[in-house]
Amino acid sequence: MSNRIVETRTVRTFGAPRRDRVQLMNLGLLGALLVVAIVLPYLGVTGFVISLVSTILIAATLAASVNFLAGNGGMVSLGHAGIAAASAYGAGWASREGFDPGMQVVFALGMTLAASLVYGLLSMRTSGIYFLMVTLAVGMLIYGLAFRLSSVTGGENGISGIERPEWMGSYWIYYYVVLAAFVAATAILYVVGNSPFGASLRGIRDSESRMRSLGYSVRSYKLGAFMISGTIAGLAGLLAVWHTHFVSPSSAGVDRSVHLIVMVILGGVGTLLGPLIGAAIVVLVENVLSSHVDRWPTILGLIFILVILFARAGIAGSTRKLFRRLRARRESAVSPPSPPPPGRSDTSVTPENNTAEQHQGKDLQ
Amino acid sequence: MTSMKTRGRRSALVAAGIAAVTALALTACAPPGAAEPDPTSGSSGEAGGSLKVGYISPTTGNFAVAGQEMVDGWNLYWELNGAEVNGITIETIVEDDAGNPETSLTKARKLVEQDEVDFIVGPLIANTALAVAEYTSSVGIPNLHPVAASDDLTQRNANDLTVRTGSMGGSQANYPGGEWAATEGGFDTAVTLCADYAFGWESCAGFVQGFTQNGGEVVEQIWFPNTTTDFSTYVSQIQAAGADVVYVATAGGAPGPNFLNAYQGLGLDPGKLLMNCCSLDQGTLRAMGDQVVGVKSVSYWAEGRDSDAVAEFIEAYKEFSDGKVPGAYVAGGYMTASLVASVLAEKGLVTGEELVSAITEYTFEDSIFGRVSWDDYNNMVGPVYVREVTAGDDGNFYNTPIATFEDVDQWLGRTPEEALAQPTYSQTFQGLE
Repeated sequence: MSNRIVETRTVRTFGAPRRDRVQLMNLGLLGALLVVAIVLPYLGVTGFVISLVSTILIAATLAASVNFLAGNGGMVSLGHAGIAAASAYGAGWASREGFDPGMQVVFALGMTLAASLVYGLLSMRTSGIYFLMVTLAVGMLIYGLAFRLSSVTGGENGISGIERPEWMGSYWIYYYVVLAAFVAATAILYVVGNSPFGASLRGIRDSESRMRSLGYSVRSYKLGAFMISGTIAGLAGLLAVWHTHFVSPSSAGVDRSVHLIVMVILGGVGTLLGPLIGAAIVVLVENVLSSHVDRWPTILGLIFILVILFARAGIAGSTRKLFRRLRARRESAVSPPSPPPPGRSDTSVTPENNTAEQHQGKDLQ
Repeated sequence: MTSMKTRGRRSALVAAGIAAVTALALTACAPPGAAEPDPTSGSSGEAGGSLKVGYISPTTGNFAVAGQEMVDGWNLYWELNGAEVNGITIETIVEDDAGNPETSLTKARKLVEQDEVDFIVGPLIANTALAVAEYTSSVGIPNLHPVAASDDLTQRNANDLTVRTGSMGGSQANYPGGEWAATEGGFDTAVTLCADYAFGWESCAGFVQGFTQNGGEVVEQIWFPNTTTDFSTYVSQIQAAGADVVYVATAGGAPGPNFLNAYQGLGLDPGKLLMNCCSLDQGTLRAMGDQVVGVKSVSYWAEGRDSDAVAEFIEAYKEFSDGKVPGAYVAGGYMTASLVASVLAEKGLVTGEELVSAITEYTFEDSIFGRVSWDDYNNMVGPVYVREVTAGDDGNFYNTPIATFEDVDQWLGRTPEEALAQPTYSQTFQGLE
């Protein structure tokens, strides 16, 4: 018991989250985005646009679960589409057997936990490329089961006609549900990532042997991280199946998992907004650009290559770096010796924060 | 006890009240444009006006060739006859779904909600077709299927707004093949080699039922994964089975020629072969030419059939594509277009369920498939041909019919109720008791 306490404290000292300006900026940007997202249905856009944004948010939720593992644990999973599909099939099967939507949630959750546990148990001893291969293999297994067990899954034809609960029937209410789920998932992953647990994960990512010799149970941490990430992936799977009313083996396919990794890398591994940016790019190219350009897969490939070549930290990560560099240059030009006092007002924070910060700033002066 | 009850009742009342208020508030907060569009707003039964068509097809990705052919067939008809029928102009918006059900659905939503199309044609792959059909029926938009062969589209998942207009179900199109092999073909035993997924299971089930119902015996069924390139082990298995006739069903593309090369490479008799539509389509004929003359297959499309409609279609497609002969996918697109044109010419501008019932009540006497009509489940009932590859005068190769089965329906000799009560076809269930 005492061991446990010491452990937690040690972690706190080197892993405590520090609210620097970049993070505030991030939060401000998030707030602004959230306001736009909330008023979007009232801006006179068509139902199609709302449904497209829902698709982006669902993909972003799924990408965020991959991003959490990759960013904090250094574990790049090639099988998260499989977890989402397991959850979707849980809901789909319950719907086909005539259960009400409440039971669909139970089955989806059960399938998610079972699938995540299998993934977690098989992959917790591995890291790096071996982790990639194990998750790929389990993903293929789920695809194979969905394809083969045609009496349960409907085979290649899939299961259709899956209804979501009545109260979220209309497309714009469902949009808010998806938005709330995305915000909640992002917040949960953010909090977990910045907790002592997240710090230990990053420790494991950086040096597994050192963490083990410090007395950490590396495997349990990895399993725990996988369960958290898998649950979020399952949530995304349930949201997706309620959005499209349909599930087929292709939703568990390898290409889907690869798309998720592309989203994460495009947005920036380990960043808060990265999954949303990446998901938006991939979904928009796939669904909107493809209406106008025949060679849209080429364009998606080019975007990916350009990001890898010139913005290796992804779009969100590289923008952050750019800001930091610009600020460093500005500061070194204006007042090189004195670092800025903590909590000085910043142009990019949200209005509420702004006044509070200014006030605090005055007090300090 | 009573107080508990009243409390329970009161809290139920409160809950109901809250629910009602929430519902009211939610409706009051509904954004502008949230009201569902009225699908029956289109005028009907009059000449003139315009018809907007959404055409979904995988023109990129793994199925790009078939997807492009399906679009070409549709466009070819309108190019040939002008995009105006009975004063109604036809406008087509083509969307690419890359064979992915989620993209297919988003594209269908875009076509319905943004472009406000009157009906949707396509897509091609079974699961995309089922997903789109489900969506379009929920918003009251007709969905015509020029190629999709999934049985369930017009069986377990059938609805009033989904019609198969340019193809047949997988089992339906192969059932007469089994009947022919057991009767006219004079074969007693059969071995089957089919692609190991829904389309292969359905095709095989059709053949196996036709064959056994007419006294034949299936000695072995072999399944191959869609990605197979080397068929030599399967051919050895076929040789070992020692049956009179070999039935082969692939999903088109490379497996057809690959199988034929392995089969002939081991010196087996091509006269014993009976293949499905797609194993011996124009792609295979162009690739193998003289090597496959005389090989037999079974399909609803026979480009070598002696008919004015077919001749006109082939002539037009040759001009369009530098002398190529059209395969089943082009034919499906062309057939759907000519069907829509015929219905519009007869009934004027019809949309929604009226368009679907106009199609299903129509008997297309001289279509490129022959005389076709539609059943109560909106599936095509028409001729199926047993075909033989022949060399044409123009240097092309044609599948020419040697036997015709008229008015083939999708129930394989059962009543619809009996057929629908069965499980879906799989490796383990081929429709035999």
